[in-house]
Amino acid sequence: MKQGLTYTVIFTFIFCFLFVFILAFVNQSTRAYVLANQELAFKRTLLSSLDIEASTDQDVQERYAELERLPIGDTILYRASIDNSVIYAKQFSGAGLWGTISGILAVTEDLSQVVNMRVIAHNETPGLGGRIDEEWFQEQLSGERIVDLEIDVTKANPGDPGDSDKTNGEIDAITGATRTSDAIAVILYDELQLISSAIRGGL
Amino acid sequence: MNKGIFIENVWRSNPIFMQVLGICSALAVTNLLTNTFTMTIGVTVTTGLSSLTVSIFKSLIPRRVRMIIQVLIISFYVIIVDLLLQTFFPDISKSLGPYVGLIITNCIIMGRAEACAISSPPGTALWDGLTAGFGYMAVLMCIAFFRELLGFGTLFGIRIIPAEIFLPWTIMVTPPSAFFLLGIIIWIVKPILKKQGVEV
Repeated sequence: MKQGLTYTVIFTFIFCFLFVFILAFVNQSTRAYVLANQELAFKRTLLSSLDIEASTDQDVQERYAELERLPIGDTILYRASIDNSVIYAKQFSGAGLWGTISGILAVTEDLSQVVNMRVIAHNETPGLGGRIDEEWFQEQLSGERIVDLEIDVTKANPGDPGDSDKTNGEIDAITGATRTSDAIAVILYDELQLISSAIRGGL
Repeated sequence: MNKGIFIENVWRSNPIFMQVLGICSALAVTNLLTNTFTMTIGVTVTTGLSSLTVSIFKSLIPRRVRMIIQVLIISFYVIIVDLLLQTFFPDISKSLGPYVGLIITNCIIMGRAEACAISSPPGTALWDGLTAGFGYMAVLMCIAFFRELLGFGTLFGIRIIPAEIFLPWTIMVTPPSAFFLLGIIIWIVKPILKKQGVEV
């Protein structure tokens, strides 16, 4: 096999072109589905953060359409009335350890309680900070009281049972993920300030 | 299906404890069995398919750029797998997060392409790639078993040791524990291999 410079360059070019072409083709043909999946996933997460039940995809679209949308700055505050109480939800994104953490924070109208917090996307260390998207971590925030517009993310001593008190404005940090836990505290603080000033600003 | 290649790749020259390749992911992803399982399946499929492709094109690939071409082929399969997951299994794709993309950087895949696929017929190359993946899977699942059990008290997310009587070992959750466990595995396995007449 003759393998001069010309052959090498031409072969590499054709081979790369061929493989990248197939990749681009697959990417283009799946793009619409991927975007639709992401949008649906967002709406589903938003509804679940508001404690609105929606099982089928159709349900999700209908319930989502019923939400009130209030623009604040360049984002949107969602308002839902459930059992005579008003809940606000806002999509957030803030700096984590490795990249942006984005999600949804839902709070009661008087900002006294977190309804739910849901993480949508993050780049935290798998198995450590990455556990912020797990049920047990997010569950801690559901119904947690907000003290002075803050939620503390605290460390327990080894052997301690952890914080199950929903009225002290504190949740447990993740073992081995101090900086992600700190980042969550900062994000929650910033978001609560934003939502508070938006509500007080009179929507 | 060549039994010799299977025994060679899974036991006698296992990519983890004999060749010591793919160690970064062995340390990073092994604190939960579910994540480890999905990751190792991904590595196995990618190693098999990329070895097959390298083998098919082996007589055409110029020697001096062969590694560049191999990386291209490996990335190609990983990205295809990632896209298909996002399209048809968005939930699985979400739970995997960055794991899929990380498969590209696994040294075992390129190791098999270089050591076997570039000089073997396609069938052998495919089987060699798959079995190397199985060898990787066997060791990582073993490490993950102990890390999840001692670090969380669970296996595949199901609680095994009751939370009331169990004090989690924090170190098992963090990467250094995989380092110690891997050391212990090598310590146990090498004398056995030596007795079987394998040069260690």
